[in-house]
Amino acid sequence: MKKYKSNKITAGDIVFTVLVVVASVASMVMIARATAGEKGSTAVVEVSAKKVLRIELSADQPGKTYTVRGMLGPSTIEVEKGRARMLASTCRDKICVGTGWVDAPGKEIVCLPNRVVIRITGERKPGRVDTVTE
Amino acid sequence: MIMGTRRVTNLALLVSIGLVLSIIESTFPPLLPLPGAKLGLANIATVIALYLFGPSMALEVTVLRCLIGGLLRGSVIGLFLSFSGGLVSTLVMIAIYMLMSDQLSIIGVSVAGAVTHNATQLAAAFLLVGHATLFNYLPYLAIIAVPTGLFVGFCSRRVANSLESLSLAVK
Repeated sequence: MKKYKSNKITAGDIVFTVLVVVASVASMVMIARATAGEKGSTAVVEVSAKKVLRIELSADQPGKTYTVRGMLGPSTIEVEKGRARMLASTCRDKICVGTGWVDAPGKEIVCLPNRVVIRITGERKPGRVDTVTE
Repeated sequence: MIMGTRRVTNLALLVSIGLVLSIIESTFPPLLPLPGAKLGLANIATVIALYLFGPSMALEVTVLRCLIGGLLRGSVIGLFLSFSGGLVSTLVMIAIYMLMSDQLSIIGVSVAGAVTHNATQLAAAFLLVGHATLFNYLPYLAIIAVPTGLFVGFCSRRVANSLESLSLAVK
């Protein structure tokens, strides 16, 4: 029990501490890699409450557009890394186009006249707001 | 179990030291915006108890200071988190102290205690919240435990050596 008096730092202390640091940094890198794909999440496009399109937003694809047929006519969706917007729509008020870009999970663009909904899904990033009422 | 007066007194002193340290620490601003990332000053009491009086004293000090501290703060969840973290980290420190004291000094024991404390608290938080993404914080909490564990280790060594040379710590 009287060991602490000569309790000099041992090689084991250093090895153990370095090991913890290395293991932590390695897991940080691995977690960052594994969750990188979730960041941009996915955009789900629904027409008349039916899922018609699922777009991965993780890939780098600036300016890529998709067109779906709504009740009135075509709606064009533009996607970028991590976000999506309604580029053009066959509806009167263009509220959906005016919504602009959406990027956070749970956010949506709704075009009622054309029955088109773009919803962002995916892992919610911790520490961010749950919802925003507008 | 019959305790000598001296032992009861020492236990009470160590528990008080731990409680006072945790109260002092609670007045510090948070080190990092990460739940669970704290200095863990109260662990000094446990480490001193372990090295001056042995494993059973360390366990008693931890259990008492976590229970009393939790009652003082009045939060059941806080009690659960600090009790689980304190208990598991003390058991790990005792195991290293008893089995590997040739390899790891008081400093290494303290770092190991800090790491297991944070890991256990995270596991306990997972039991409460049930969100597996919580474990993404594990490496951050583990790496933070290195400097805090080193700090606590150096403090404990200093205090343990002083107490020993004053021969106050007689079993």
